[in-house]
Amino acid sequence: MEHDSVVDILLIEDSHSDAEMTLRALTKQNIATNLVHLKDGALALDFIFATGIYAERKIENQPKVILLDLKMPKVNGLQVLEKLKGDKRTCEIPVVILTSSKEHPDVKRCYELGVNSYIVKPVEVSNFIKAISELGIYWLALNHAPQ
Amino acid sequence: MEGEIRNKAKNGSLYWVETTIIPFINDEGAVYQYMAIKTDITLVKRIEAERDRIEAERDERSAELEAVNKELESFSYSVSHDLRAPLRAIDGYALILEEDYENVIDAEGKRLLDTIRHNAHYMGNLIDDLLSFSQLGRKDLAKTLVNMTTLANATVVEIGRNKEHNATITINPLHNVMADKALIECVLVNLLSNAIKYSSKKEKPSIEVSSTVENNEVIFCVKDNGAGFEMEYADKLFGVFQRLHSVEEFEGTGVGLATAHRIINKHGGRIWAEGEVEKGASFYFSLQTENKKQ
Repeated sequence: MEHDSVVDILLIEDSHSDAEMTLRALTKQNIATNLVHLKDGALALDFIFATGIYAERKIENQPKVILLDLKMPKVNGLQVLEKLKGDKRTCEIPVVILTSSKEHPDVKRCYELGVNSYIVKPVEVSNFIKAISELGIYWLALNHAPQ
Repeated sequence: MEGEIRNKAKNGSLYWVETTIIPFINDEGAVYQYMAIKTDITLVKRIEAERDRIEAERDERSAELEAVNKELESFSYSVSHDLRAPLRAIDGYALILEEDYENVIDAEGKRLLDTIRHNAHYMGNLIDDLLSFSQLGRKDLAKTLVNMTTLANATVVEIGRNKEHNATITINPLHNVMADKALIECVLVNLLSNAIKYSSKKEKPSIEVSSTVENNEVIFCVKDNGAGFEMEYADKLFGVFQRLHSVEEFEGTGVGLATAHRIINKHGGRIWAEGEVEKGASFYFSLQTENKKQ
């Protein structure tokens, strides 16, 4: 793992198939080149805060956008969101929640914590791929982030 | 002076008396006589004890109910999350096969893949419908004065925007009602979409919405000239997952009318249907009156 390389998108997703669909959508838009995929929240926190196995990473090299699943083993998406929106060094990174459920009791909580977008993954994959492509283009090309 | 006293009767049984003692005072200010009025309040006491018991039981029940509701909520969440995820995977990998192996798979193979995807989408809709149906039970009604003519017209526009159809829809001036607007809109969406769906195979599909007032209730009617149904199955129309047509004939999950039924029930109204095979159907629902016609 190259610890200092540029990361555009950080995908935090425990479902292998959802990750595969997300990658497919982003690859089709040619925006998956600098993507890091992590499978749980604990690993994600290590990556973002340059701790644990990512201790060598430079914390300044933050992704342009974080795609975050809510339901994950160990540290869930909400806990990840809370940590990174609560820290001065990371609170400006745009975070998009990707979740399977409209029913999630924490939608409101996510917004209170400062999430930038909240997207329900549609069952119909063509819609899912469309949604991912659009948000990829939006956050990487259209959106102007603080330097 | 007043008080409640528990006495023992001669036969040994206990009884309650409410006693009021009134002193009589002479010119010098001294009490020279008392009058005591005693009322047997044993029955009142018994009723009070019964009331306390019922109240305690009610509190216990509502605590139980709240716990069950919480459990149901997290159950719905799990269902919607955990059932949708594998469906998306099924649909996704079928899509990848379609796209990346287009040149390897023959027409029959494509048909099979298409069927897999179609069923995955259908089950996705089933899950969504069932969830919104189960949520209905938990929501409180937010009643306001609803202009039904405006609402029905808006609903028709919204349906037309989502799905093309060639039905002629007539909305007559309707009576206003006190109701939960979002929920009544859901009823109208269901009834109108059904009317459009089941009349879609007719040459000139036509739908009419009207209302009348009878005995303090407004009765709304959505009438179409579509496929209709056999009256002997009328009671099956409003059950969850109950359908009178196959999915091949007319698409649907069988939750729409059950949802409408539940909403109207919650409003204290009634919903019913009349129909005849190939001669159309009329769906009625009643709500309490709010007099003026718009």
